[in-house]
Amino acid sequence: MRGAHELRAADLSLGYGPHDVIQGLNVDIPARRITMIVGANASGKSTLLRGLARLLRPRGGAVILDGTSVTDLRTLDVAKVVGLLPQEPLAPDGITVGDLVGRGRYPHQGWFRRWTTHDDEAVGAALEATGTSDLIDRPLAALSGGQRQRVWVAMALAQDTDLLLLDEPTNHLDISHQVELLDLFTDLNQSSGTTIVVVLHDLNLACRYADQIVAMKDGAIVAEGPPGVIVDEGLVEEVYGLASAVIPDPLTGSPLVLPRGRHHVR
Amino acid sequence: MVRTLERSPTPVVDHGGVTRGRATRRNRAIVVTTAVAGIAVGLFILTMMIGSYPLSAEEVVRSVLHLGSDPAVDFIVWDLRLPTAATALAVGMALGVAGLTFQKLLANPLASPDFVGVSSGASLFAVAAILVVGGIGVTVSMMALIGALVGSLLVYVLAWRDGITGYRFILIGIGVSEFMLSLVGFLIARADLFGAREAMTWLVGSVGQAGRGELLALVASVVVLLPVALLLERSLRVLEMGDDAATALGSRVEVARLSLIAVAVILVAFATAAAGPIMFVALIAGPVARRLLGPSSNATLAAAFVGAIIVLMSDLVAVHALPYVLPTGLVTGAIGAPYLLWLLATTNRVGRGG
Repeated sequence: MRGAHELRAADLSLGYGPHDVIQGLNVDIPARRITMIVGANASGKSTLLRGLARLLRPRGGAVILDGTSVTDLRTLDVAKVVGLLPQEPLAPDGITVGDLVGRGRYPHQGWFRRWTTHDDEAVGAALEATGTSDLIDRPLAALSGGQRQRVWVAMALAQDTDLLLLDEPTNHLDISHQVELLDLFTDLNQSSGTTIVVVLHDLNLACRYADQIVAMKDGAIVAEGPPGVIVDEGLVEEVYGLASAVIPDPLTGSPLVLPRGRHHVR
Repeated sequence: MVRTLERSPTPVVDHGGVTRGRATRRNRAIVVTTAVAGIAVGLFILTMMIGSYPLSAEEVVRSVLHLGSDPAVDFIVWDLRLPTAATALAVGMALGVAGLTFQKLLANPLASPDFVGVSSGASLFAVAAILVVGGIGVTVSMMALIGALVGSLLVYVLAWRDGITGYRFILIGIGVSEFMLSLVGFLIARADLFGAREAMTWLVGSVGQAGRGELLALVASVVVLLPVALLLERSLRVLEMGDDAATALGSRVEVARLSLIAVAVILVAFATAAAGPIMFVALIAGPVARRLLGPSSNATLAAAFVGAIIVLMSDLVAVHALPYVLPTGLVTGAIGAPYLLWLLATTNRVGRGG
């Protein structure tokens, strides 16, 4: 079972250029749970995730990992605990799947201690967990979008961290690949207790797969809690400005958001 | 099926092909790197054998290693041929490493020091030294060194916006380059015939023009910085996946990038100070090494030797192929320009690079 860690934002302010996107935000990421951050475009959800993953330096406040501000920790030590799949990572020209996933081992290697069987084990396990073992010698560029995304996830898994943050991992994927990927995160969470934080666009999938939802608007948190408790018509209206009906999902009982729109509604 | 990350209880030797795949890549890298190193050393020796007074390989090697006792051979090797051969070897290695580093760092095959302000900065300062101050030898080399550093610093500062990205760096580099080259043109246009000729000779670049001081400085920089570049290759491997991924993996991105750029720029600066701006070597060496090694291998060392091979061969052609001696830069240019055209034509077709 993986270790439980404290990850929280304390009075955190983040921004780009002259603008503060997030001001004085507080949030706790529950250990060994799946947390999904949702919100409209430009609500600051990706910014928050990037802040939690120390890709953005806080302008105020701090991101606390196990009692210490991450800016005071060695970035290599943070990388052994917190893994991240960025929204659009770059694939080096011609890189093969095995090589790419192997690069996830970077924080566990040193200047002179380069590669051990333990690294091979971790890479093999990551490939297997994502069902990409057969692709190991293929160039990444030759894969379909769904396969490629799973390979990137495998790279993040090879990092072998207790926490895994993912920035819109289901972007550009069709519905079946989205479900497959979210199932995979749930497997990871259930089998080894990995704490998972996902920024997700699809509210219905978030409601189904998340233990905890963090709903954001204009850089602030509007509501947080289990989907069954916090997601209702009022929240959807407030966060997305969308009129809707929220019913229990007939398959799972989780909230199912049905947008009203201006047409077709009887 | 629930897939799990728990390690399997029975020890698996190959870990689903991971061990085998890595071993294959490593073996190929070792074989190829050894081969290109062998060819580079062979050409290095060959360069010292050919000439109006031919020497055997054995004579050359014995003399270089101070094992010979023939003063005439020692004179030919140490005073006449070794400086040129050593310059060619070191310039090629420096340019090969620098080119590959830039290309990987900026994720663009066009990101060669030839185009991003380093060589043109060196050219401007060297030509100014020749024409304005009437400098010769060491003065010109020193100015070229300073110019390379100033040029790259200017590009770095202008391209900086919360970090450095590939496209900005390259486009600003090309802009700065053009600006400096136009100043070079201005200086030459106003120069007298003798000065202009002198400047043009320097601008084409030749490994035969290096003085002893520049050569020693260049060799020292290669001896020190090549191992540094090999150590930094580890950082380069995560940096080429983008800043976000590199940061998430625990790399100190700005420190790593600045170190890599510094190593590359210093190598180019010393190479240019010794031999002038020998074009296209930095552009070609990296891609050739990567093609030989297979994609995404650690190609820095191989690129160094490929660079050396290109310069040594170009020098052989330049000195011996025609009845009169050409500058080395002319031959590398003749090889490099068609490659550049091919690169521009193909990269745009697949929608990357240019």
